[in-house]
Amino acid sequence: MFSSLEFFIIEAFRSFRRSALMTTVAIVTITVSLTIFGAFLLLILNLGNVVGTISSRLDLVAYTGKNLSLEEAGAIQVRLAKLPGVERVEFTSKTEAWKKFREDFGGQLNLEETVHDNPLPHAFALSVRTPELLPVVAKEVADLGVIEEVRYSGRLIDQMRSLVSAVRVGGLSLIVLLSFATLLIVVNTIRLTVLARETDIYIMKLVGATDTFVKWPFIIEGVMIGLIGGGASCLILKLSYESVAARLALALPFLPIFTNQLVLTLIYAAVILGGTALGMLGGQISVSRALKNES
Amino acid sequence: MIELINVSKNYPNGIDALNNISLTIGKEEFIFLVGSSGAGKTTLLKLLYRAEKPSAGKVMVDRVNVVELNAGQVPYLRRNIGVVFQDFKLLPKRTVYENVAFALRVTGAPRSTIRRKAMQALELVGLLRRVNSFPDELSGGEKQRACIARAIVNNPPILLADEPTGNLDPTTSWDILQLLDKINRRNTTVVVATHNKSIVDEMKRRVVELEGGRLVRDQQLGTYHV
Ligand SMILES: Nc1ncnc2c1ncn2[C@@H]1O[C@H](COP(=O)(O)OP(=O)(O)O)[C@@H](O)[C@H]1O
Ligand SMILES: [Mg+2]
Repeated sequence: MFSSLEFFIIEAFRSFRRSALMTTVAIVTITVSLTIFGAFLLLILNLGNVVGTISSRLDLVAYTGKNLSLEEAGAIQVRLAKLPGVERVEFTSKTEAWKKFREDFGGQLNLEETVHDNPLPHAFALSVRTPELLPVVAKEVADLGVIEEVRYSGRLIDQMRSLVSAVRVGGLSLIVLLSFATLLIVVNTIRLTVLARETDIYIMKLVGATDTFVKWPFIIEGVMIGLIGGGASCLILKLSYESVAARLALALPFLPIFTNQLVLTLIYAAVILGGTALGMLGGQISVSRALKNES
Repeated sequence: MIELINVSKNYPNGIDALNNISLTIGKEEFIFLVGSSGAGKTTLLKLLYRAEKPSAGKVMVDRVNVVELNAGQVPYLRRNIGVVFQDFKLLPKRTVYENVAFALRVTGAPRSTIRRKAMQALELVGLLRRVNSFPDELSGGEKQRACIARAIVNNPPILLADEPTGNLDPTTSWDILQLLDKINRRNTTVVVATHNKSIVDEMKRRVVELEGGRLVRDQQLGTYHV
């Protein structure tokens, strides 16, 4: 078996050199496809991360009617804190809110002259245990009957979620399409080798080589193409992700960037494995057709 | 060793290449398969190494009906049958040694065995001086010797030669036939399809004649024509 393995590898390298141009094209194609594949994975991962972080930071805000006393508000705070799904309730009195409002915007608007009465209600900021509970808690709060208005950024989160799933679906279809295109190119590359080696195959079969034996050099050729393409793409992805991530972290420090090394390593590994699998499948397909014609 | 029982072969295009042939070839026999072009000689040989399947009949090789072999078994049949061609079918980018060793390599033989057997075969055909030459550096006779070396390197019990002298001059043809005779005397069944009259007449071996796919003559110590 050892001498056979040597034979397979030497044969694979022979054809590798013989169709150097097509081989290069196939490697570049695999590299491009896998880079797009990996880039989409990274994008989806990061979008998901952003949505997750934003939702976990978002609170629900409940406003009372304007003419409620502090004591009444305190009673409401106790009831809110007891609602299922609510983690924490923070109270901002109408006086505090007005003060803050005037501090923030007082310079721009001439509030003292136009507005005499404090127009703001008391407000409660509720932290909810998980983002999915936001609408549920919002309803519970509304059902209490003592709250005038409930606000949360549900729409924004929903929009982000559908953006993520759109990217996911689009990316997935693109990856499937790209895989097919890549496979086609690999198959055709190795088909050239198969054609160039028709006499070899004929002689191999004549002197009693099994189909499996005839296939190995072509499968190895495919694996080599896939491995090189996958490796190159992995390198491109790793280097560009690191540099983009570093730049984003500087420019938009509040943006949560995905940096879990384990998951990133898995993605890079998936890229290399994907390339290898594509190459192997390509080799298998192209030589199987040749073997069917020959007998 | 070889037995054809009521064998017919119709190609898909409707041509009846062989018509109800029955023929027995004993172990260690040397026979000539003669007949004009298109008589069915090549087709008959192809049935033996399962390059074609008959439309009817049995093709027994070493008591196995090769018609019934499945695709996975065919390689093992072929390791027991050497085949020699008029156009040699040598691989042009490989040396003589590599061409011969190739036939062993693809059966997964260990390296030491490959070297030893390849050199033995090349010695037998008298090509030791040319082991590192490429096919296009060889004369026609040398190419045929290389082709024969490749066919026998596995020590097959059967050697089939399809017009082995078709591309050779008379002297070289005679040398090649001497070589085939030598191989036959080393316990190998040899079947030579040819329409080289002088060689058949000179060798005085069993002659089987085909005509339009029918077996029309089977004669011991025969000549090309009756
Ligand atoms: N693969 C094939 N397909 C169709 N017809 C064939 C094929 N091979 C041979 N024939 C036909 O079968 C007949 C016998 O051919 P062949 O066995 O090659 O004869 P020979 O070797 O005696 O010249 C011829 O008429 C030939 O045209
Ligand atoms: Mg013929």
